[in-house]
Amino acid sequence: MVIESIMKLHRRQFTSLAAWLLALPGSVHARSSVGKTPLFLSAASDRGDNHWVIGFRHNGIKAEEVFRHRLPARAHHIAVHEGLGIYTVIARRPGRYLWTGDLESGEKLAEISVPHDRHLYGHGVFSADGSTFYTAESAYQLINGDSGRVVVWQVTRNDHAVTMVRSTEYPSYGVGPHELLLKNDQTLVVANGGIRTHPDSGREKLNIESMQPSLVYMAADTGALIEQQFLDTDYHKASIRHLDINADGLVAAGLQYEGEPFERAPLIMIHEQGSPIQTFWAPEPSQSEMKQYVGSVRFDLGGSYFAASCPRGNLITFWDARSGEMVNALRSRDGCGVCAVEDGFVFTAGTGRISHYNPTVDDIVSLDVSATGKVFWDNHLTVWQET
Amino acid sequence: MKTLYSLILAASLSTSLFAQEDGPGNNWTEVNLAVTDHQVIPSYQAFALAAGQLEIVAGEFCNSPDTAGLESFRQAFHGAMDGWQQIQHVQFGPITYFNWNFRLHYWPDEKGTGGRQLESLVTSGNAELLEPDNFARESVGVQGFPALERLLFTEGSIGALQEDPFRCQVAHAIARNISDIAEGVHQRWVDEFRATIANADERGFFESAEDAAIDFMKAQVEPIRRIQQQKIEEVIGENAQRARVRRAESWRAERSLRNVELNIQALESFFNGDDQTSKSLSSLLEASDVSTINGIFSELEQSFMALPDSLEEALASDGGHARLLALAAHLDALFEAFEAGLKNTDLYLGFNSLDGD
Repeated sequence: MVIESIMKLHRRQFTSLAAWLLALPGSVHARSSVGKTPLFLSAASDRGDNHWVIGFRHNGIKAEEVFRHRLPARAHHIAVHEGLGIYTVIARRPGRYLWTGDLESGEKLAEISVPHDRHLYGHGVFSADGSTFYTAESAYQLINGDSGRVVVWQVTRNDHAVTMVRSTEYPSYGVGPHELLLKNDQTLVVANGGIRTHPDSGREKLNIESMQPSLVYMAADTGALIEQQFLDTDYHKASIRHLDINADGLVAAGLQYEGEPFERAPLIMIHEQGSPIQTFWAPEPSQSEMKQYVGSVRFDLGGSYFAASCPRGNLITFWDARSGEMVNALRSRDGCGVCAVEDGFVFTAGTGRISHYNPTVDDIVSLDVSATGKVFWDNHLTVWQET
Repeated sequence: MKTLYSLILAASLSTSLFAQEDGPGNNWTEVNLAVTDHQVIPSYQAFALAAGQLEIVAGEFCNSPDTAGLESFRQAFHGAMDGWQQIQHVQFGPITYFNWNFRLHYWPDEKGTGGRQLESLVTSGNAELLEPDNFARESVGVQGFPALERLLFTEGSIGALQEDPFRCQVAHAIARNISDIAEGVHQRWVDEFRATIANADERGFFESAEDAAIDFMKAQVEPIRRIQQQKIEEVIGENAQRARVRRAESWRAERSLRNVELNIQALESFFNGDDQTSKSLSSLLEASDVSTINGIFSELEQSFMALPDSLEEALASDGGHARLLALAAHLDALFEAFEAGLKNTDLYLGFNSLDGD
């Protein structure tokens, strides 16, 4: 019998969890330091193939739906701007709509579409003052070369109306831009997933053998390229998809590997501007259990640790951003949406489950979702903490 | 320092209030253990026995390779492959450890890399590579059934195996590797994973017993589409002229349809259980849906009566392509019936995990 020298499946140990616990804020059970509990927003679908944007709050035991509005098609991520009091739902690839609602009431304020020769990738980000919104898009008719675009929208809100005017297109310096962020409100950080698709071929991936994902930093005001980083050529099939950034400007990214399922490939990386990419690896069997797919990445509020969800592997993993060590992993069937809250993280899953994880007391609570009805939460969860 | 699972165990105390309770007809743990004890473990045991026999016969053949010995080797290959095809649908648990699933059966190999890597290994003549620990680290393309099939069922294989003892040693190494993996998977289910299933409500590896039941149901349903598309439709094409037989699973051993028939028989047993089983996966669906599904299983059984083991032979026969299209249509109907049945339950097999973005 071949002796396999890896850890047994059910005997994982995480030595740096204690360090994380020490790094967290002291409040153990505080849900919020202000009056209102946070509002969570996510796209969701139901068994009737209806698509929704849903806002909910929770009290640590039960999730209460605040609003629910029908969407024209499946969505992906929701961007929030507190100053304007709005949220914008971004259509899932290859959709074309941007649906904006009021944060207080949830009511719809505007729905617009990108041009017919463009489609969205499900992600967008507001500038700090809310005057500008950026979307990741595809100029898919360019079947060769860099078809990724970052599009600049001018945003204004007047009482019950929001206008978003498409003003400028930047190249994304790659193919398949996915999540994008703002660093210091001046630099756009873009994950070019590298995968070419075309609406005529649905969601079929057309260039796996030649894909070239990259992480790009570009000037938000001009679109000028500042820095572009690539993975080692051995890992060119590791699509850089989802990002978060901490207060120090450290970027964490979740990858999706398009090579053979048995190949060992990086799924987590961090990057600091001016330095090379660092890839992080989970100890086996967790690395294999991640099933080569990370669906969402979010730093904790302290910015030292981040969560990376693996819906194909039914795992939520937690990482020390400095040491690169995976400090914990929790089972979550089809769990993908994740966001940081004052006392840990909240997760949503394709099963409809909503969980709250408090690492300070190593406590994961499945919230009572009976009041929200059966829905399948889409990939991303956004939180708005009223200030 | 705490282990992950002690953390989760502690967490389960606070979550039990909202844990999915077993409802009427949904005694998840009872169903999970019935499938484990009456389907999964016996099937892996049978596979391990047949794979052990394959290893023995391989050794005997390589000591004195002759035509009769090759026939025995081929029969032992068929025995082990029969065993594997009857449990191939389970793609969770120990079969996923150490890439065991891919090492056993790397298919489809769309770029034909397995064949090139196998020839490279054979021409290397490097016996060290065949040592079990080393062989386990070789490319998945040379470690399992497709590579062994190439060595045993290619025209002129007896001459090649007689002339080159190292070629035979490679075949023996593959047979031993298949046996090791089959035994490893079986033992891991018996020694560890059965307990994981039994204790699924304690939030160890699984969130709950229902979570474990979803893995069993995925093993029941998801292979149907794969069989329909990969094993039938992509091979036979829209008409007989567009058929591409060499895309078929196990085409060299002329057993592509035998694989499918065994897959379907295994899925039917997986669903309905055996006589000793008080609960089965079918108990998770409504009676009318079970009846529809079993009606389609019966039609599928009838379909195979008119078909040979070899897909190539079936295609060459009068009306063969139409019969294969009908087989694919029955598989489509079976998948749809399961999907419809699941919609009448709280079980949902995947959302974010299925589509990728």
